[in-house]
Amino acid sequence: MPLWTLRGLRRGIVTTRYPARPDPSAALLPTPPAFRPDVLTPGLADRLVAVCPSRALARDGNLLVFDVGACTACGRCRAAAPEATASSGEFELAATAREHLIKRIPLGGSTR
Amino acid sequence: MTTQGTSDQAVADRSEELRRTVARLFGRSLHIRTLDTGSCASCEQEIRLLAAPHYDLQRLGFFFTPAPRHADLLMVTGPMVAAFENAARKTYDAIPDPKVVVATGACALGGVYQPDAFTRGGVAGTLPVDVWIPGCPPSPLALLQGLLVAVGRLADKVQDLDFARNGTPR
Repeated sequence: MPLWTLRGLRRGIVTTRYPARPDPSAALLPTPPAFRPDVLTPGLADRLVAVCPSRALARDGNLLVFDVGACTACGRCRAAAPEATASSGEFELAATAREHLIKRIPLGGSTR
Repeated sequence: MTTQGTSDQAVADRSEELRRTVARLFGRSLHIRTLDTGSCASCEQEIRLLAAPHYDLQRLGFFFTPAPRHADLLMVTGPMVAAFENAARKTYDAIPDPKVVVATGACALGGVYQPDAFTRGGVAGTLPVDVWIPGCPPSPLALLQGLLVAVGRLADKVQDLDFARNGTPR
């Protein structure tokens, strides 16, 4: 058996680390929204929940519950309330537990 | 309480040791079987791109295999249509231990389809999922990060993000 076969069997055949360099296309990817707690009011939150087609948003009392796993980054919430939403710019979202993807955003706008 | 603390510590030590062993076994050579449980094929398009020269999955020690018996990792897409559930279980059973299940895309994570007579509305009810990759579809970069999280070469960073941002939107 050739030596490189033995070495490959023993050590695997990884040739580069990740990432070798930042990927320029990453900036163009659609990403889930980020919300502005200081602008979100209960009424606005209800509007966003109604507009979400993939059940990623729900309201729990004074919290907006955002399920990043269910979000399809369609942009409907951004179109409905551009003042309260922004592109998060995050696409490396793999999670080792489903709960890690459930985000609770306080509705701070109601107190003002 | 002390004994409880010690046994918790022992369990933690054992699970850390197991995690390291799996990371060593899978870290440099991992074979992936993909399973479409009723997806729209966007996820498959992105998965296919992983093997293209631009992303070149093989350089990182990942390979696709058509046989579950040769696979270490099951990459599941789609909302798990009821008609496919039996085949999904058989595929999972055919993969030798230790194995990792990665739910890929918003449907598999339970976001898009409600459970009804035709679909389970997500993979988690049928298979024990280890890593969740959101996105509709997840880009090849997101999939790569997910695979590296699955083999323990990158940390899960989404748990520290809060998706709340004060100040002017960008």
